[in-house]
Amino acid sequence: MFKAGFAILQGLATTIKHVFERPVTVEYPEKRKEFSERFKGRHELKRYDNGLEKCIGCSLCSAACPADAIWVEAAENTDKERYSPGERYAKTYEINMLRCIFCGYCEDACPTEAIVLEKHIELSYYDRESAIFTKEMLLVPPPPGVWGTPKSVTPHSFDRAIPVMENPE
Amino acid sequence: MAKTVTIVVDDIEYEVPAGMNLVDVCKQYAGVDIPVFCYHPKLGHDGNCRMCLVELATPRKNPHTGEMELAWFPTLQTACTQKTSEGMTVRTKSQKVIDGRREILEFLLSSHPLDCPICDKGGECPLQELTLRHGPGTSRMYWEEKMHLGKHVPLGELIYLDQERCILCARCIRFQDNIADDPVLAFDQRGRHQQIITASSPGFNSIFSGDTTDICPVGALTSADFRFNARPWEMVQVATICSHCPVGCNMSFDTRTDREAGGRTTIKRIMPRQNERVNEIWICDKGRFAHHHMEHPERLTKPLIRRNGRLVEAGWEEALREVTAQLQHAGENVAAIAGGRLPNEDLFALQKLIRAQGSHHIDAYPPVRGGEFTASVGVGVGTNLADMGSGDAIVVIAGDLHEEAPLWWLRVKAAAERGAMLITIGGRETRLDKFATHSLRYDYTEEVATLNALLGCMKLTGLPRSVDGLKEAVKGARAFKPDKAIKDAAEALAGANNVIALVGHEGLDGQGSHNLAQAVANLLMATGHFGRPNNGLIVVWPTANGQGASDIGVRPDYRPGYQRIPVPGMGYTDILAALADNTLRALYVVGADPLFDDPAAEQALRSTLGTIIVQDMFLTATAEVADVVLPSQSAAEREGTYTSGERRVQRFYPAIEPCGQSQPDWLIIQTIGKRLGHGNPSPSAAAVLLEIAKTVPQYAGITYQTLAEVEPQIPDVGGEDLYYGGTAFRNRHGLGVQWPAAAESGGALSAHPVEAAESIEPEEDMLLVVPITLLYDAEPVFHKTSLLHGRVPGPDILMHPEDARYLDIADGDVVRLSIDGKDITVVVRFDEQAPEGAALLPRRMQVQGAPMAATFATLVRWDVEALER
Ligand code: SF4
Ligand code: SF4
Ligand code: SF4
Ligand code: SF4
Ligand code: FES
Repeated sequence: MFKAGFAILQGLATTIKHVFERPVTVEYPEKRKEFSERFKGRHELKRYDNGLEKCIGCSLCSAACPADAIWVEAAENTDKERYSPGERYAKTYEINMLRCIFCGYCEDACPTEAIVLEKHIELSYYDRESAIFTKEMLLVPPPPGVWGTPKSVTPHSFDRAIPVMENPE
Repeated sequence: MAKTVTIVVDDIEYEVPAGMNLVDVCKQYAGVDIPVFCYHPKLGHDGNCRMCLVELATPRKNPHTGEMELAWFPTLQTACTQKTSEGMTVRTKSQKVIDGRREILEFLLSSHPLDCPICDKGGECPLQELTLRHGPGTSRMYWEEKMHLGKHVPLGELIYLDQERCILCARCIRFQDNIADDPVLAFDQRGRHQQIITASSPGFNSIFSGDTTDICPVGALTSADFRFNARPWEMVQVATICSHCPVGCNMSFDTRTDREAGGRTTIKRIMPRQNERVNEIWICDKGRFAHHHMEHPERLTKPLIRRNGRLVEAGWEEALREVTAQLQHAGENVAAIAGGRLPNEDLFALQKLIRAQGSHHIDAYPPVRGGEFTASVGVGVGTNLADMGSGDAIVVIAGDLHEEAPLWWLRVKAAAERGAMLITIGGRETRLDKFATHSLRYDYTEEVATLNALLGCMKLTGLPRSVDGLKEAVKGARAFKPDKAIKDAAEALAGANNVIALVGHEGLDGQGSHNLAQAVANLLMATGHFGRPNNGLIVVWPTANGQGASDIGVRPDYRPGYQRIPVPGMGYTDILAALADNTLRALYVVGADPLFDDPAAEQALRSTLGTIIVQDMFLTATAEVADVVLPSQSAAEREGTYTSGERRVQRFYPAIEPCGQSQPDWLIIQTIGKRLGHGNPSPSAAAVLLEIAKTVPQYAGITYQTLAEVEPQIPDVGGEDLYYGGTAFRNRHGLGVQWPAAAESGGALSAHPVEAAESIEPEEDMLLVVPITLLYDAEPVFHKTSLLHGRVPGPDILMHPEDARYLDIADGDVVRLSIDGKDITVVVRFDEQAPEGAALLPRRMQVQGAPMAATFATLVRWDVEALER
């Protein structure tokens, strides 16, 4: 009898000890955890400071993707209706988040650092169709006060698709 | 056997032909890839890019000791400019060579934009490939010193130039100058400013312009059709055969699914497939770009039935029931007209159906004859126009190959340049005459007379015994009087080793084309040029599968395989007449549009009380007057075989999903056949081909297996090397099978004397109008490709200025002509090359009314515009 009472106290002591410990969980969704620098969440398509899209529709991300999750279709820019620097832009850009394994190969493959795996983690859907993220969903908004795409630009001011390269050391 | 020499490549000895290009020899005999940019086996060497550097030594006598020794050149040499000689020694892998290549690439890239990610060539780019394999990883050049030039320079509306990417290899210029004979490209400026320009108006005016995008070793030349459409690695290549002309070029549809097309597979581009006996590695721009009809929004997706005078959409069941009822009612009073671009399977099914109904009233459209002659003395199996050269002769009769069969033009011209004798016989000057050794001109209607005269004055030493009736044919021909030019040509022809004759049908109707082909066949038989490779007859059919249509019995006088019918049915012209007087109860038109081309069809088709059933991809002019219209599939949606003018049966594969509810023609026809009680439909197109092989003796043994056989193509430009540009050249899907003519398989041959056509005496104020064929016309299968609209010539009548002056007409005048009682209004264009005494009227243009054969037209009156001027 006495022995049993001791065991209960022992158990309670453990419980009480934990009550005063700092919690490891956060009160999601009100509170969120900081992710590590290297965390790979849902992608974003980036823009330059002038609002032009970095993506040039080259399909290299889709070629690099081991899960065949990315679909890119390209079209031609004009100075009147410019989406990205150079001649080519992505007319269609889609990532199927159900296929994506968040390996980050697309980010590695991208010649313009347009596609970046960011920190978004809320990826849940009611049907498969909505797991496909379109260009509109992936593209970040233009910087404040800057007009987005398409935009009309001075002729020949953005002829080159690849950012001006540095002289290699 | 050609002379051979021993050369040493990387310390290994090889026995190779003497005088051969070193790059080719190393690849073919030693399996050593010497990287190249400017060299191309089809273009020859130019020695401008220096990519092919090797260490080279040749044996020479030591001036001091007098002994033979190897003398190494002090500097690296360009392999592409070397011809193999005895003892030639090369090192292709030494450090010196490796360094040399690396430096050349560094220089080539010194101003290159390196925008491979957006470059259409990226992924199949020789520069990319060779840089990865042989280039430096870094550059010593300054980035800021790169030349910046135009990246979007249109050379005409078809081809775009990126001046920064161009490495100035001059492949495009050399192709245009030496192969296409359209010298429209040139270099401008010098040094780092040197650029490709086009010197023609419209820009890049050549029907072979697309080929330069294939051979350009970088992404400098891109086609408007494909620009940014897809990356090379994303596309699936589907083997196909061009359906635009009788050459039968091997090509592939490069396909990919497309979001904008609702996830459907779409044709992104067309690339040539190497077949050294057919098209080598080239295709013309019609074959390359004119594919948009296949995915055109105006395609028919559902059957249509005429209700209360209007065509309304209907279900298949309803349409088939209607067609069956009408055909049942018509019984044997049914006729069929089939387009010559239909594949063999469809043609076979159609003739079977019509004959099962007890009728032989079936013809191909346009009705050109001559198949029975190709079946007996057609070019021998193994014929290759590329084998024709010095000592051989090619005769081109009554046609303009440049417009009617561009690749034959290209290859005939190349043969003439290699030294083959070229005899052109025609009513007018064409682009081939420039290369001809003998040009014979006749007045239209004197085609046969000219050929007979040519045969009549040939000195013949003994006639081949295997041919019946040859003596009479030659005797008949002797009655025709040759002039000096004909005598000269005959003399030249008599000395030829091999003779190939290409016979067209310009200005001729069905009977005329038959007679001309017979006259040419007589000539070939009398001179013994038949039954062996590189000898015999080729008919320049007006459509891709004219040969197949004839072989398969889509004609009133022969069953499949040229079995003569004792009481032939009605041919095209008679069918029209019978329709007009309502002796025919039904007409089944498959893949043909006579109402569009032939003014004579107008009255018959519009007035007849018989049922007209049209089966086509579009609501054509003929379909608009039909009672039932059935939607059929394009060649990209189904499989089948075509027979080229050289009697090569070639298979094409399905590339895209069917459009709407359309069905393959053969299946529709066989489904109707089943309802009429003529047996069950075949399970597949393959089964129809098997049946053809069983029924048509000439096609015996032709199966998908034999059609799929391939052999190594030399020169090898589609291999792993990639330095000849493009991955698409390699032919993996079959080279086709050429079936033996009767002369080769021991069949009976016979010649018949041919009577000359009656010449008509024109009345006062009459003008001889000769219909001509142009490559770019207004036919739906071509005209739905809007990209090429700028290249379609106006629907003008071409007149020699002398004639026009006589008739008091000025350039640009609008005149009204009455042809067979029908008026047409056309603009007159002066053309120095038009023949005197005849006006040329292009067929299949927007302004309809060009007759099918040469005919006299009355100048009705000047139009208002002309009077006011
Ligand atoms: S995200 Fe980057 S790699 Fe992908 S298509 Fe755009 S530019 Fe190319
Ligand atoms: S030409 Fe070749 S190397 Fe140059 S950008 Fe295009 S793919 Fe890259
Ligand atoms: S455009 Fe292409 S083929 Fe022509 S010179 Fe430049 S690199 Fe050579
Ligand atoms: S030559 Fe004839 S078969 Fe060849 S691509 Fe041109 S149209 Fe087609
Ligand atoms: S110099 Fe030999 S390939 Fe260009």
